[in-house]
Amino acid sequence: MQSLNLLLDTTREFFHQVAALLPRLVLALAVVIIGWLLAKIIRFAIERGLRAVNFSVLTQRAGTDHFLQSAGLRGDTTTLFGLVGYWMVLIAALMVAFNGLGLTYATDLLQRVELFGPKVLVAGVVMVLGSYFARFVGEAVDRFCRDAQVADADMFGKITRYFIMAFVIMVALSEIEVGGDIVQRAFLIILAGIVLALALAFGIGGKEWAAALLERWWPRNK
Amino acid sequence: MNDVQAPAQESSTPSGLGVDDPLWYKDAVIYQMNIKAFLDSNEDGIGDFAGLTSKLNYIRDLGVNTIWLMPFYPSPLKDDGYDISEYTNIHPQFGTLEDFRTMLTEAHKLGLKVITELVINHTSDQHPWFQAARRAPAGSPERDFYVWSDTDQKYLGTRIIFVDTESSNWTWDPVAKAYYWHRFFSHQPDLNFDNPQVLAAVLRIMRFWLDLGVDGFRLDAIPYLVEREGTNNENLRETHDVIRQLRAAIDANYRNRFLLAEANQWPEDVREYFGDEDECHMAYHFPLMPRIYMSIAQEDRYPITEIMQQTPDIPDSCQWAIFLRNHDELTLEMVTSKERDYMYTTYASDVRARINLGIRRRLSPLMENDQDRIKLMNSLLLSMPGSPILYYGDEIGMGDNVFIGDRNGVRTPMQWSPDRNAGFSRADPQRLYLPPIMDPVYGYQATNVEAQIRDPGSLLSWTKRVLAVRKTSQAFGRGTRRFLKPGNRKVLAYLREYGEDSILCVANLSRSAQPVELNLAAFKGRVPVEMLGRTTFPPIGDLPYLLTLCGYGFYWFRLTHDAQAPSWHEPIFSIDERPVVVLFDGWNTLFRDRVMPWRIGMAEKTRLQFETDTLPRFIEAQRWYAGKGVAIDRAHIADQALWQDGKWSWVLALLELGTGPEAASYFMPLALAWEDGEEERLRNLGTAAIAKVRQQANVGVMGDAYADEAFCRALVGAMAAGRDIATAQGKLQFRPTAAFRVLAGEDYAALPVTRPRGSSSNTVVTLGERLILKGYRRLRAGASPELEMGLYLTEVVRFANCAAVAGVMQYLGNDGQTTVLGMLQAYVGNQGDGWTYALEYLRRHLEEHRTAPATDGLPLEAHEAFLMLMRTLAQRTAELHGALASASDNPDFAPQALTRADFEAYRERAVRELRSAFELLKSNLEQIPAPDRPKANEVLALQDKLLARIGAMTAQETAGRKIRIHGDYHLGQVLLTRNDFVIVDFEGEPGHGVEERRAKQSPLRDVAGMLRSFSYAEHSALRSAAHDEVEYTKLAPLAHAWATQVREAFLTTYDASARDSSLYTSFTPGRGLLGLFELEKALYELRYELSNRPSWAGIPLQGILEAAGDDHAKP
Repeated sequence: MQSLNLLLDTTREFFHQVAALLPRLVLALAVVIIGWLLAKIIRFAIERGLRAVNFSVLTQRAGTDHFLQSAGLRGDTTTLFGLVGYWMVLIAALMVAFNGLGLTYATDLLQRVELFGPKVLVAGVVMVLGSYFARFVGEAVDRFCRDAQVADADMFGKITRYFIMAFVIMVALSEIEVGGDIVQRAFLIILAGIVLALALAFGIGGKEWAAALLERWWPRNK
Repeated sequence: MNDVQAPAQESSTPSGLGVDDPLWYKDAVIYQMNIKAFLDSNEDGIGDFAGLTSKLNYIRDLGVNTIWLMPFYPSPLKDDGYDISEYTNIHPQFGTLEDFRTMLTEAHKLGLKVITELVINHTSDQHPWFQAARRAPAGSPERDFYVWSDTDQKYLGTRIIFVDTESSNWTWDPVAKAYYWHRFFSHQPDLNFDNPQVLAAVLRIMRFWLDLGVDGFRLDAIPYLVEREGTNNENLRETHDVIRQLRAAIDANYRNRFLLAEANQWPEDVREYFGDEDECHMAYHFPLMPRIYMSIAQEDRYPITEIMQQTPDIPDSCQWAIFLRNHDELTLEMVTSKERDYMYTTYASDVRARINLGIRRRLSPLMENDQDRIKLMNSLLLSMPGSPILYYGDEIGMGDNVFIGDRNGVRTPMQWSPDRNAGFSRADPQRLYLPPIMDPVYGYQATNVEAQIRDPGSLLSWTKRVLAVRKTSQAFGRGTRRFLKPGNRKVLAYLREYGEDSILCVANLSRSAQPVELNLAAFKGRVPVEMLGRTTFPPIGDLPYLLTLCGYGFYWFRLTHDAQAPSWHEPIFSIDERPVVVLFDGWNTLFRDRVMPWRIGMAEKTRLQFETDTLPRFIEAQRWYAGKGVAIDRAHIADQALWQDGKWSWVLALLELGTGPEAASYFMPLALAWEDGEEERLRNLGTAAIAKVRQQANVGVMGDAYADEAFCRALVGAMAAGRDIATAQGKLQFRPTAAFRVLAGEDYAALPVTRPRGSSSNTVVTLGERLILKGYRRLRAGASPELEMGLYLTEVVRFANCAAVAGVMQYLGNDGQTTVLGMLQAYVGNQGDGWTYALEYLRRHLEEHRTAPATDGLPLEAHEAFLMLMRTLAQRTAELHGALASASDNPDFAPQALTRADFEAYRERAVRELRSAFELLKSNLEQIPAPDRPKANEVLALQDKLLARIGAMTAQETAGRKIRIHGDYHLGQVLLTRNDFVIVDFEGEPGHGVEERRAKQSPLRDVAGMLRSFSYAEHSALRSAAHDEVEYTKLAPLAHAWATQVREAFLTTYDASARDSSLYTSFTPGRGLLGLFELEKALYELRYELSNRPSWAGIPLQGILEAAGDDHAKP
């Protein structure tokens, strides 16, 4: 009998708890659904908004669209931004839902992801603007060298562009806190290596070659 | 509608002659003649007034409007009548005063003015005044009629004029026992104007002739009227006082009479004879004449420009009288001694030709009978400022006889015919006052009126033509004169301007061809129309206007505002005038969704400027823009594609012009070319530049892509490949036909591309002599009648006499609507279209007969060669209709039987056309030129009759077939090629909607269209060839006879070829369905002309009258 009572109590308690959980679950579900709808709206708004101000032209000219498409993404950078916005809203909704359900661990986990989102967006913007800037400066250097009749103008343009891009990538990675000191140090090491290699090349092994190159770029007897 | 090149609207016949215009003498062309030399009517060997009266028609037909009669008064005739012995009578050998009156009346009836000589400086020594004076006591009023002196040492500073015959200006009179004064011959004593009775007597003489109706006087030897010691006795103040009194006497009592001063003086001295518009109306410009000769001899314009620059301005109401030759010697008094020597050497190497200070030769011998030089001289005479005087006989190039004494060698009888005495007199040759010229070159057998009047190429015919042309502009008589200074000094160029009328005269003074570049910047945009041939020349642009002239050639151009440039002319717009569009991002600049975010505002602004200013201003100036004269507010780019092909890219724009019911779609492909590395493209595109463009430091041109060879080749390539190009709201489709490979060949990409030619609705580019790319500009959604017809005739019925279709370019909108943008067709080598050919043929025909006597009939087969062509045209027309009437599975082309409902619909359509045309006619009656207005009123009065006729026209029709037809068939739609015709432009009547143009019709509509085209050609050629009403009246029957024959030849052949096809039942011209369509077409034309060029409304009005019945059909 006791066993039965215990069973009944347990069952009652179970149902009692289920009855207590059910509204929260429904509420959480509603929050998720609303969040999902909101996320879709936000994605639509972001994409529309960005396209209305020709952000897509910027990303296309910056080369990020091409980069993403080469990486297998079907959309362009604007689509990606919309997707990030979508997931941020959706994750926020999930956080509220999980929090309502008392799933604090999941909430914490999602909170971390949520906090990462803006950084991704900022990093993305940095990448887009940086890429455009790198391309712009690279083309300017290229054009200047051509006008100044410097040989290998395109090479100088590309060096400039890639050099700026390296900094841009560094900034972007630093924004999303990927790599941290290792990346920075690695970058400095590579940079120092290049400078050293050039110094050695100019100073010792490739002295004549370097002299010939300098003569080619800035001839003394024009 | 025939694409008629309307000649510039000619000014009406100069006012003044025959109407109440006090300045009539400014438009006068004066014919100087000697009564005794013109025609002898009474066989006494001397010309007379009756003879002149019988030849007044000749003078009128020549084109002059004033006759100057040399002295005809009783006289001993020691100085060709200038020694007058009675002022108020006629020399008996010339007839009677009654004969003079008759001549004067007849001349006035013909619109000819008559001026006579008023020789008041001197009389004959046989004049009763002199006889009385020499016998009267010294100091008496009778004696004082002349200038007497006891000594011949007075007035020693006075020059002797006739140095060859007179040694002093004084002659001793044994009766008066005193010397009398004479400036000319000793038998011509000078009157004494210090005696008031002399002036009173002169005024009486003047009134006598003015009362008879004489229109003016030439005041002979006017500078010498008064004498004063210590002067040279020329141009004295007292002389001017006398002239002022003569003028005052005329002004007080007579209207529209004038005085012409013969003052052989320098221009600044002659200027005094105009006074303050209170002396003479006209005066001779003596120094100009020898300088014209000198310029041609030296092949340098300097002598003319120099003397004209020395010529002072004269009062507005005054006029110069200019001449090349007259009854006296070619006087060289007004040239320097060096110039005189040069003139003698050049023009009078035979010393017998020299007399006094001049040369006694006529124009033609002076020019060594060189017709080109004679024409050039006359062209200068007729276009220089002043009223020109032609000396009788010079119009046929009469010669002279230096073996006759004094100046009588240039006063020989007029050469009328090769008959005895040159047709001048039936008297025995020995009785003639002078023998006619009989040498082999200038003799009357070779040079006479009768021969030249029948020869359209003769000097006489040319003179008639050039005088008729001169009459068309008052600028010649009244305009200002401005010399141009081209680098080539052998060319004389000057402008005559009067009001809106500007005439450019260019003359090559040298014997060899000469080029000249004229700075006509002030007339930029005007179209020069060569006045003799009425040929339009390319419009004046920014560059110096380049002309080439043959040896002794000349041009008179009317610089018109309204004449159309020649159809072959490719307008080159100056890039400098085009606006600048700043492109910061290439083509993307024009599209706000293709630029960087921070440049959206700039892109929108650029686009707005492009659509509201740059593009509209370009389109408004294009021939293919349908809304002529209607300003475009905005050319909205409704859809577009950025097309990249190889290294070039173009924007293919579909424009929306206007809004609401006025909205129209146009196709406007755009191309860009940059200065750096694209010189060839830049040059080509510059001819159709829309704007200058700049992108940072790079400048270039944006233009109509049809001017870009690469674009045209890319279009053909796209058709060959069957390519599609996506646009924002649809796509462009390029498709080849089955005939593409055959027509285009394999090497089409290498074919040379011509510059685009614009027409009224499309742009045509030729690729080699193989393909024609025809780009439609104004777009109409739906099936294209031309494409449909072209494909059907090429691929289905294989009609050979049309241009085969090779490909098509069309736009497919997202709404499913298809719009044809262009077609690729086979090139048809041709000699021009039928309209131009027919018009030129008829104009040539009329020109040839313009100067021929009205009595000359035409040979029976005069037009046979042309009629053969028209029969061929009729044959091809019948074959076209036969091909379109062949059985077809295609419901759009399957022939159908005409039903009663069709007839009713035709009738209703004609009635609708009639009502709207008549409404328009009523409201625009004032716009119709005055000569055509009676015709318009006559047509208006016929409304009921025409309605009844329309009703009756179809009543008897019961059968026939309707097929697809050409729809806008006229001479302009057929190309002449190797004596055959190719039919083109199957777009249908542009004024009708697409469905109406695609509808099946009776083929007689096309026949009617062609018949109306013949009528247009008839009247257009007539308007173009005839310079005035007289010529129009004379040439109209010739033109009408041509039209009648052409019409008959066309109809007969068409009927013979098409009769068996059951296309129609009744074919009575003017009746039945054909008559109905002809009338409807004429009504449509009337509506068109009233809306677009009311001055041409007379042609359809005539057509309507002809359709109304024979009793109204007088042309």
